[in-house]
Amino acid sequence: MKKVFSINTIILVTLFIGVHSLLFSQSDPEEFFEKNCFSCHTIGGGRLTGPDLKDVEKRKDPAWLEKFILTPQSVINSGDVYASKILKEARGVVMPKVANLDPSMTRALLKFIREESGKEKSRFAGSTLADRPLTEEDYKIGNALFIGTKRLKNKGPSCISCHEIAGEGLLGGGLLGPDLTEAYGRLGGKTAVAAWLSNPSSEMMSPIYKKHPIDEEEVLPLVALLKSKAEGKEMISDAHDFNFMIFGFIGLALCLVLFDLAWWNRLRAVRKPMVKGELS
Amino acid sequence: MDIRSQISMVFHLDKCIGCHTCSIACKNIWTDRKGTEYMWWNNVETKPGTGFPTRWEDQDKYKGGWEVVKGELELRSTNKTKTITNIFHNPNMPTLDDYYEPWTYKYKDLFDSPEGDDQPTARPISMVTGEEMDIEAGPNWDDDLAGSPIYAENDINLDGLSEEQREQMFAIERLMMFYFPRICNHCLNPSCVASCPSGALYKRGEDGIVLLDQEECRAWRSCIPACPYKKTYFNWNTGKSEKCILCFPRVETGQAPACFHSCVGRIRYLGVLLYDAKKIEETAKFPDEELVDAQREMILDPFDENVIREAKKNGIADSTIEAAQKSPVYKFVKEWGLALPPHIEYRTLPMLFYVPPMLPVMSAQEGDSVRNVNEEFFPDFDKARAPIKYLAKMFGGGNESHLRYVLKKQSAIRAYRRAETVGDIEKIDADKALLEADCTAAEAEGIYQLTSLCTFEDRFVIPAAHREEAIEMMKDPLEHKQETGFGFRDEPERGW
Repeated sequence: MKKVFSINTIILVTLFIGVHSLLFSQSDPEEFFEKNCFSCHTIGGGRLTGPDLKDVEKRKDPAWLEKFILTPQSVINSGDVYASKILKEARGVVMPKVANLDPSMTRALLKFIREESGKEKSRFAGSTLADRPLTEEDYKIGNALFIGTKRLKNKGPSCISCHEIAGEGLLGGGLLGPDLTEAYGRLGGKTAVAAWLSNPSSEMMSPIYKKHPIDEEEVLPLVALLKSKAEGKEMISDAHDFNFMIFGFIGLALCLVLFDLAWWNRLRAVRKPMVKGELS
Repeated sequence: MDIRSQISMVFHLDKCIGCHTCSIACKNIWTDRKGTEYMWWNNVETKPGTGFPTRWEDQDKYKGGWEVVKGELELRSTNKTKTITNIFHNPNMPTLDDYYEPWTYKYKDLFDSPEGDDQPTARPISMVTGEEMDIEAGPNWDDDLAGSPIYAENDINLDGLSEEQREQMFAIERLMMFYFPRICNHCLNPSCVASCPSGALYKRGEDGIVLLDQEECRAWRSCIPACPYKKTYFNWNTGKSEKCILCFPRVETGQAPACFHSCVGRIRYLGVLLYDAKKIEETAKFPDEELVDAQREMILDPFDENVIREAKKNGIADSTIEAAQKSPVYKFVKEWGLALPPHIEYRTLPMLFYVPPMLPVMSAQEGDSVRNVNEEFFPDFDKARAPIKYLAKMFGGGNESHLRYVLKKQSAIRAYRRAETVGDIEKIDADKALLEADCTAAEAEGIYQLTSLCTFEDRFVIPAAHREEAIEMMKDPLEHKQETGFGFRDEPERGW
């Protein structure tokens, strides 16, 4: 009993520390903006996937903004006219619900945006990535990074573990995240995609890539890949599902054979072989 | 010394008539539930024969018991690694067919069948599936057919007999057989207990009965291959293993276990033995031939002052020590050296002992006639129907000298009694026989009394259980003092 107690205590303490750091580490709105918003929004740098947020409060009142930031999907679903308009402008990309965002942080963010909008040039006016043309070499590296033959520099998981893209992977890719074949157009082109990749902020990706960010030099090759795929004619085929099933069956058969070999000397029967005179 | 008490048993095989009353008594009390139909906590086997389950003595197949590897005792069936790798499937378990598929008959058909030209029959149906089946085997298949070419000839104890010995056994028109009733041996070094990953099996401190906690059992079934005697069984209905409990509710209340109580031939004896638990490991490591002596060495003299003092120091009750002094098992095993453990080479140190049967050759077939071949009643044992080697494999760990000793003594006592009562043997010859058999007249008288004229009280010396002491260790027996003794269905308003 005592031992269980101490294990429970350790678990509780660990949990508490974890929750504590989550709650209080992002109390700075500037840091929060950088980590969660900047991948789709600039302040005075023009639109990326989402609209430019400079002077956003002049376009819509703070109460509406707060509600939208906290629950974008439900505001859209409620049939709000302005929300539908910006959704259309974003080519149907719905703003993801941001992890660890609460009303007080929302207000702090709005205040921060107001302050930044007043500045001549905000540091969030645009991406700092080199704006060089994409090459064939980029595409190749991007491809390798996507399917994981080349490891991401900061040890983040390769894209294919969660995403599918046309023409890659014998069994397709992961199904946890969306199909990325059309992502380039959906997000709004090179700058927007690059911004997203430098700082993926969806609920699923952000906790993973915060710890293992995609390196600056890896962003453009991935953009090149996404661009080329979006321009290509290839679509995700159903063959992957079939392949997957076949591989499943083969795997199962192999496992059964393996188990049978491992336990080859098991006792199968005694009486029947004895009666038949086959007892060894 | 670490003295403990053990309720142990002696089965006198010369008295067993193979009536299976013990099995039925046990089945009716303990194993007539769903899931236990195939179990026989008590079963009676015909020897030579393959037993129940089929060829249970073949440890190359079933991997029961212990072996000595590099001076250490190890389970044959499992170890820490194998416990994990085999956790979902123990590879050395008997199949249901190796036990037998239990069946009953559709008796109702005898009454309900429509009128026809033939008599209605009750067809056999499986007690597992409920469907009609062909009976192929039973728990003592070929009972009484000692010469059966399949079940008797595959008796593993026949291995190693010379061609001549085998021919000898089967030449006499396959007449040789004896019965071998078996229950759990409540071993001192139980391999079932050692193998259980859940710790569900335990050896009860006060009397050494090996029990299986039904709430702790997690159905890993490690005990089933581990027990070399195949006396733990898996209940397919409850998903728990079960075994002989030596009728402990009866023993605790001073009654003999059901199989003992019902025994028609009065072959069963039950009593307490005191033993030195410190010696268990050391004893179990002796070479096969020395195991019988080593185990006897562990069993202590309950009259020895030193033993009594140490026993009391270990918390053994005076009543238990008294019972040990009267124990018929102590007499058979230690004083007289007549009872031998079954297959002690499995090294579990069984605490059920057998007085081996005498199977003298009286007549033999010659051509078409059967002729008396012996004038003497108990001649040379090397010519007995059951070769000494065969019996030694079962009861002596392969050591024939124990069997020779037992058979010689038994035959001397018969000669002695014959001289006393019938008079066709000279007294002087009888005395000589006793002397040769390492037996005094007084001892012979004692053996005769306990073998032939034994009363219920002589056979079963059951110590008082002292459960209160065991319970005291778990909780305060006065916990409910001044609280209960009178109950209400509806609580009175004023409280109670």
